[in-house]
Amino acid sequence: MVEPLQLQDAAWALTSALELALFVQLVRRKLRQIYPLFFAYLVSVILQSIAVAALYRTENLDKGTVWAIAWVTQGVVVILRALVVVELTRSVLHRYIGIWALARKLLLGVAAVVIAYDLLLSKGQWHWLILNGIRGLELAMAAVIVTMLLFARYYRVPVDQLQRALAVGLCLYSTFYVVNYSLLERVVQQYAVLWNFLGLSAFIASLLVWISAVSRYAPSEAIAVPSAIPVELYGKLSSEVNSRLLLLNRQLVRFLHLEDRSQ
Amino acid sequence: MSLPAILLVLFALLLVGLLAWALRPPVRQIRPGLEVFDALRQSRHSSRMSHVLQALRPEDTEYLRETGQVALMQTLRRQRRRIALDYLNQLQEEFEMLLEISRVLAVMSPEVAGVQEMERLKLSLAFSANCAFLRWKLRLGLQPFSGFTLLSNMATDIARQLDAATTRIAEAAVRASEQSALGHKEFDGL
Repeated sequence: MVEPLQLQDAAWALTSALELALFVQLVRRKLRQIYPLFFAYLVSVILQSIAVAALYRTENLDKGTVWAIAWVTQGVVVILRALVVVELTRSVLHRYIGIWALARKLLLGVAAVVIAYDLLLSKGQWHWLILNGIRGLELAMAAVIVTMLLFARYYRVPVDQLQRALAVGLCLYSTFYVVNYSLLERVVQQYAVLWNFLGLSAFIASLLVWISAVSRYAPSEAIAVPSAIPVELYGKLSSEVNSRLLLLNRQLVRFLHLEDRSQ
Repeated sequence: MSLPAILLVLFALLLVGLLAWALRPPVRQIRPGLEVFDALRQSRHSSRMSHVLQALRPEDTEYLRETGQVALMQTLRRQRRRIALDYLNQLQEEFEMLLEISRVLAVMSPEVAGVQEMERLKLSLAFSANCAFLRWKLRLGLQPFSGFTLLSNMATDIARQLDAATTRIAEAAVRASEQSALGHKEFDGL
């Protein structure tokens, strides 16, 4: 039977291999210029893996120091992931000046509310403040991604395959983290191996989604930017839409009067 | 696990569900630009309603009731309900098309008012709910007149909102043109 630690080591090795594969694909497809923060995030994840692996193999270091360093590096990675969410949201919506300004306010509001709610659960204990803060940030990222996609759907803003894959990978990992952490919150020390393994599994799934999308990425997928309509056309548009609405309303009124007479 | 933590888990699961929903392809899509005019030029369902209204005249039913032809009266009432349902479907189609156009306007507008967008969203949700309610009332043979009045008011509200949005867009376009004439290039970024 495979030991949990062996399984975790295998998952760790697989994660590292996938991270490197994604790194190579991003460089080959020249996507590090288009998504520099995503590229920086991937580099930070690779460096974190190397740092944590080196730490665990270093003797004469007390467990508390290792734990603290591991969580600080995790904090850096989470902040970079949050910046990737900002980069992704901007890449989807920034072409549309009006709705991008509206979306910024909405998404910031969503993120602030989610983080505030999660931090309230810490009850002022710094240990839980850090852990809950990271969970709050993860949940806020997922909420922002979903809100952004709903926003894009409502306004029919095109979201290309790579943007969708980035959104799915980030959102699924973040939600999985929140569920995993919330379920094991009070017993995280006893089930650290299981917790790490489940977290790695979710990250592997995200990496596979990203690798698949990056491998299929074609530069010709550029989204057409809508141009502003000249004033005369706006005037024509306005009168056409309004006359049509008035006609619709008039028909309704006629229908109502006829029905009322039947009562 | 505490109740707040359970709520967090439920919220996370809700997000996964919404993610799946948000990634579905849109049912209807108008591309910005001149296609808006193509959409506006499409045939108007409401303009064909004169025949429908003629068929709904109350004298027909009253006359049949007085002459004791109850079976025929019931048949006519069934037809009348079907006609009303068709009318409702067409009304909803037009309403959704106008909403679609208002979205295109928002996408092309350099300035979008959050309050008005939220009002339009609420209006569209209310319109959909009322349409569904009226449809059921008609299917059950109930009198849906008050509901139609509500839908009529909604159509008026959205017309007013669209007019205000279009005026803002025109003003923004004029300002941008003036800046461009003075040597500024901001409008190119749109």
